[in-house]
Amino acid sequence: MTTQRRTTLAAVVLVVSPVLVIGGLGLDAHARRAAKERDAASIDALARRLPSSDLALSGGARWLRTVSLEEPGAAFADGPALPDPDPAGAAMAPPVEAWSR
Amino acid sequence: MRLSILAFALQALARRKARALALGGGLAFAVALVAAVIFLTESLRAEAERAHAAQPDIVVQKLVGGRPTTISAAEAAKLTDIPSVRAVTPRVWGYVFLPSLQGNVTIMGTPRGAPPLSLANGVLAEGRDVVPGAHEMIAGAELAHFLGMRPGDELGLPTGNPDAHALKLVGTFRSSLDLYTADLVICDDDDARALLALPAGDATDLSLSLANPAEARVVARTIGERIPGARVIERDLLARVYHLAYGRRAGFVLGAAIPALLALLVLAWDRASGVGPDERKEIAVLKAVGWSTSDVLWAKLFESLLVGASATALGLLLGYAWIFWLGAPGLRPALVGWSVLYPRAALTPAVDVAQLLGISLAVLGPFALLSVVPAWRAATTDPLETMRS
Repeated sequence: MTTQRRTTLAAVVLVVSPVLVIGGLGLDAHARRAAKERDAASIDALARRLPSSDLALSGGARWLRTVSLEEPGAAFADGPALPDPDPAGAAMAPPVEAWSR
Repeated sequence: MRLSILAFALQALARRKARALALGGGLAFAVALVAAVIFLTESLRAEAERAHAAQPDIVVQKLVGGRPTTISAAEAAKLTDIPSVRAVTPRVWGYVFLPSLQGNVTIMGTPRGAPPLSLANGVLAEGRDVVPGAHEMIAGAELAHFLGMRPGDELGLPTGNPDAHALKLVGTFRSSLDLYTADLVICDDDDARALLALPAGDATDLSLSLANPAEARVVARTIGERIPGARVIERDLLARVYHLAYGRRAGFVLGAAIPALLALLVLAWDRASGVGPDERKEIAVLKAVGWSTSDVLWAKLFESLLVGASATALGLLLGYAWIFWLGAPGLRPALVGWSVLYPRAALTPAVDVAQLLGISLAVLGPFALLSVVPAWRAATTDPLETMRS
């Protein structure tokens, strides 16, 4: 293969690289979703014994463990882009000393 | 001919390697950050929605002073004869603060007749379901691990009720269900009531199952009339909460990242839209040897496409790897909170191809177009004048 051909081929590959990456990621995502589907029955059985389908991401002291049931006004008075009065997440965590006090 | 120009564009980029790498690297970082936040948010929302279908059609709470409080289980009798209501179940659940954990655990009672949990249905990693009246519990794998408990061990949870029994661990949940169970203790209703110091006859809320879920709105209105002041939560409306809750968190993170993203985009715009003296000279030489203005424009467009496309591809790949292959280090606490018991279960991608294409086009389109105008200006000037200057 001549240098010119190799350069052309490399350039074409670079231009279509987003499509190749999206295709590859799509396949990986599909495989992971298929693996997760195998858990569907157990999630269904478990969910019937949970207070809500909220994820165990933060403790109940912050009213956000079961955000859908506890957040005052949820699911009715909430609105897009409203600031969270007591956010469970942000860019910086509180200092460990403050958190464990 | 176009392919030759494409190859020429790649060679031109190779001659200005440092600039192309700086530009592409900045753009790839911006794409990776935005894509990662979207990947993580969509994944969390999908996880919450996965368990959504098995939830009660309607949950009824009582409000006092605008805050949820316990509800008398006797209120259930007011709801059983509403058309379409199949069953009304008082539920007992709440939180207990564990000083050793410096956090709350969620206590969920098991009403009689609840569907069983077992190794066979894939919910438990070890052990069995609780036997009513035996003072037993099932705990999340993460919680059991934190407390150093094995099936057979007993735990006295701190409570203000001296009548509460210590509970014997008889099973743990599978770690792949951590996202729902990391802080969860399931015991029977009486034990949950004792631990939570809930008066006899009270429940945390009432759950209703309907014969026809499409009638939830009508049933909710009737409940409001029969139990004034009740807070009626319809299952279908909860999907909106998940969108809002996770969308808002993603908004905060992206909002915090806006200055960095803007700085990168301004830098990219400056680099992509400016044509330096060397490039002007190169364009003049191309025009002098017979390239048309159109050919020069194609070459410049291809240069932008090559940098933009490869940066977008790299950014998407980095964002995906960050979230799903590495477990979102750094970003996970910002989006999911600082819970003491972190669910360790791997996240499942929920983003679709259309969203990936959308991110790509949102980056590539403006980036490629930005480079055309300055290239047009340079390509339409007199080559001799450019070379002389």
